[in-house]
Amino acid sequence: MAAPLAPEMTPGTVVREESELDRPWVTVVWDDPVNLMTYVTFVLQELFGYDEATATKLMLQVHHEGKAIVSSGPRERMEHDTSRLHAYGLWASYQRDS
Amino acid sequence: MKPFRRRGDQVVAGLTDAESAVVGLLLDQLEQLLAEDAPADDPVVGRLFPAGHATDAELARDYRELTGAALRQGKVEDLATVRATLPADGGDVSLADDQARAWLRTTNDLRLALGTRLGITADTDHDAPASQEMTVYSWLTAVQGSLVDALVAGGGRRR
Repeated sequence: MAAPLAPEMTPGTVVREESELDRPWVTVVWDDPVNLMTYVTFVLQELFGYDEATATKLMLQVHHEGKAIVSSGPRERMEHDTSRLHAYGLWASYQRDS
Repeated sequence: MKPFRRRGDQVVAGLTDAESAVVGLLLDQLEQLLAEDAPADDPVVGRLFPAGHATDAELARDYRELTGAALRQGKVEDLATVRATLPADGGDVSLADDQARAWLRTTNDLRLALGTRLGITADTDHDAPASQEMTVYSWLTAVQGSLVDALVAGGGRRR
């Protein structure tokens, strides 16, 4: 996934505070024994606009590794993404990127 | 059941009267689990409305307050769409894209509910002799699988 564009830095900016604020949040999809693999791929394409190859890769990562990060950004957007995934019954949550 | 397939702008399937009756009963049960007074400690309710944050109880509470009502409302509306498009005595189901998505989400909720009750795991042997509930679960899996395939085949993605 593409990294977010770095904000313009003006001289004298308090870097520590800035980086803390910018540390992105992520939305994680967890493995689930019920959801069909084709369904998970479809939902990731539908909600995030991923092409089929990207969505399939993320779905397989969920399947084999137990979880995958499907989006990243500000907390409010990750809450929103999580709720859109919950509307489709995917097992998802958001957290600070570690 | 005649599985879902694309026909022009619609996806269509055929249900027997018995299949329609079973779906109707399952919708009634799901409706109770979607009610505001459904017991929050019911594992099925927990699966239909998961925690937004895996470890932080405060964030999980914030999330529930922020999104819970809309999430519930969406599921209730999907269920109503399925009920309205379900042939009462069996027959053809013919769905526009938005209706197909409601069916997709609701059949998934039904599978999550049944799967949670049945204790489905990754190791569940779906070919073993099955209880009636497991047979219904497998049937719903086939319905939902054909619906996904029909939507993908039609380029049903919006973006």
